[in-house]
Amino acid sequence: MIGLSRRRFLQGLAGVGAGVLSGCGGLPFFSGAKAHVVVVGGGFGGATAAKYLHLLDANIQVTLIEPKAKYITCPGSNWLFAGLTGLDQLTVDYQALQDKYGIKLLVDRVSSLDAGQRRLRLAGGQSVSYDRLIMSPGIDFRWDAMAGYDQAAAEQFPHAWQAGPQTLMLARQLQAMPDGGVVLIVVPADPYRCPPGPYERVSMMAYWLKQYKPRSKILILDAKRSFSKQALFEAGWKKHYGYGTANSMIEWHSLADNPLLELDKQNRVLTSEFGDRFRGDVLNIIPPQSAAHIALQQGLADSTGWCPVRPLTGQSLFNEFIHVIGDAAHYAPIPKSAFAANSEAKACALAVTSLLNQTPVPEAHWLNTCYSLIAPDHGISVAGVYKLDAANVIAPVKGAGGVSPRIDAQVAAAEADYTRAVYRNLIADTFG
Amino acid sequence: MKRIGYVSAALLASALSSMAYAEIDARAIAFNCWNCHTESSLDAKSSIPSLKSLSAQQLRQALLDFKYDKKPATLMPRLAKGYSDAELAAVAEYLSRY
Ligand SMILES: Cc1cc2nc3c(=O)[nH]c(=O)nc-3n(C[C@H](O)[C@H](O)[C@H](O)COP(=O)(O)OP(=O)(O)OC[C@H]3O[C@@H](n4cnc5c(N)ncnc54)[C@H](O)[C@@H]3O)c2cc1C
Ligand code: HEC
Repeated sequence: MIGLSRRRFLQGLAGVGAGVLSGCGGLPFFSGAKAHVVVVGGGFGGATAAKYLHLLDANIQVTLIEPKAKYITCPGSNWLFAGLTGLDQLTVDYQALQDKYGIKLLVDRVSSLDAGQRRLRLAGGQSVSYDRLIMSPGIDFRWDAMAGYDQAAAEQFPHAWQAGPQTLMLARQLQAMPDGGVVLIVVPADPYRCPPGPYERVSMMAYWLKQYKPRSKILILDAKRSFSKQALFEAGWKKHYGYGTANSMIEWHSLADNPLLELDKQNRVLTSEFGDRFRGDVLNIIPPQSAAHIALQQGLADSTGWCPVRPLTGQSLFNEFIHVIGDAAHYAPIPKSAFAANSEAKACALAVTSLLNQTPVPEAHWLNTCYSLIAPDHGISVAGVYKLDAANVIAPVKGAGGVSPRIDAQVAAAEADYTRAVYRNLIADTFG
Repeated sequence: MKRIGYVSAALLASALSSMAYAEIDARAIAFNCWNCHTESSLDAKSSIPSLKSLSAQQLRQALLDFKYDKKPATLMPRLAKGYSDAELAAVAEYLSRY
């Protein structure tokens, strides 16, 4: 059943690309070698782009370059703090992309780029040339924001903002904390990966602490004045974790005018500009972010630290043969999420196949949905539908999108199920 | 090469259907539906309804009902309001083929 429909799916889509190709058999790439599209980064953006390129036009040769043979998803990783999942369950590989879609995988890291020659060099020494390049390399951290918090300190005070060993380390620190201990969660200013992520993390930690260390507290030290789905999170925290009362397990402090400047590792104290001191037993410091190192190093980012693109095609403003998608790229107001990276990848794959086949690039439509769990039976969501406005700028479609409409137990429980289902389906659509 | 027979059939179908919605490329919208309505929606575990068994007419009606708040739901009304009626019809037509 699944096999059959998958075959129809492939053939239906391949028909679109192949039909276009057979109509213009004289294209330069088609007369000689096939067009070669290289995708850098096997996260949500890159894996989706590779898969949909093949689905759209099976004549294109697709190579995916990713240094890790297995990928651990950030989505779902907060659930680990509530004991609802483990790293194994969050791990995917690239087998299906290779077997079902003929994608060539190179397990290696891109070390440099010769954009003029359209050639990449890999850390392993190999060089790879491309007709078009799609970069989805994700994020890196800015280590200059807080004195005392650098890459080495992050081994002791994990950010856990790239799922993996740090996620486990943070969970273990929580488990080892005495009852009555204090967790400090430091949240950066916008833009950063997954705007509601820190608050889902707080919820999942609170769910676990409520059962095992009920006298403990979580202090959110936020560089922002407000946050994603704030009313829904606060209502959920009130319902489950006493938020707003004297015994609240969770406290949210906006430090927008009073930034944290320094970490004293020895005493586990954070000090703000006005001299406020916050001491914690567990410190989860999420630093400000930028596009991944490779994008910065190759001059694909501007002074904001993110890569500006022409939104219709994802082409870099600095090089028309390089497309940038996902967290590394500037697609604001679309937030930096896995769902959005998947959607950007599809629009980009449509644009790349159109450009290679010299057909008009279709109007782009982007979608984002971010679900979060407040408790295992309480989910909330925010959605946005985006397209280009008259000035060719990405804009949310008026009247669409927004947060979960009603807050009642039935909707909350349905949305908790959908949170898990959307996660599974997003993985299947991206890697399966 | 094995695919060619299917290709012409698919092309014919897409040529016919695209006449009605010449200016809309349904793929650009419909690909985003597969984030949630993938084949794995067929798992008993998934609470998101599968679209597989729905005809173009049923899909279109459901989408219009979501858009105009005639069908209670948690998420779809927020998404359906992002598209014109013609776009929803084109998407329904497209998805009914997969
Ligand atoms: C705690 C947490 C929870 C989250 N929850 C959700 C959620 O519920 N829903 C949601 O939609 N989003 C969520 N996100 C956000 C989501 O993880 C990111 O938005 C998403 O991963 C972005 O995809 P990407 O392809 O841009 O980058 P990534 O997924 O980070 O992939 C980038 C890949 O590029 C590779 N790479 C980097 N440099 C190179 C190089 N030089 N050469 C080759 N490869 C390279 C990396 O190894 C990596 O695998 C969450 C994030 C966090 C931190
Ligand atoms: C983020 C996940 C998500 C995305 C993306 C999504 N859907 Fe849905 N869909 C749902 C959920 C959840 C429901 C159940 C109704 C509800 O509560 O909103 C649903 C229900 C439906 C139904 C009703 C099916 C039935 O049998 O009752 C249709 C039709 C549908 N969606 C079509 C679409 C189309 C078309 C798109 C793309 C434009 C789309 N969906 C995108 C999650 C999604």
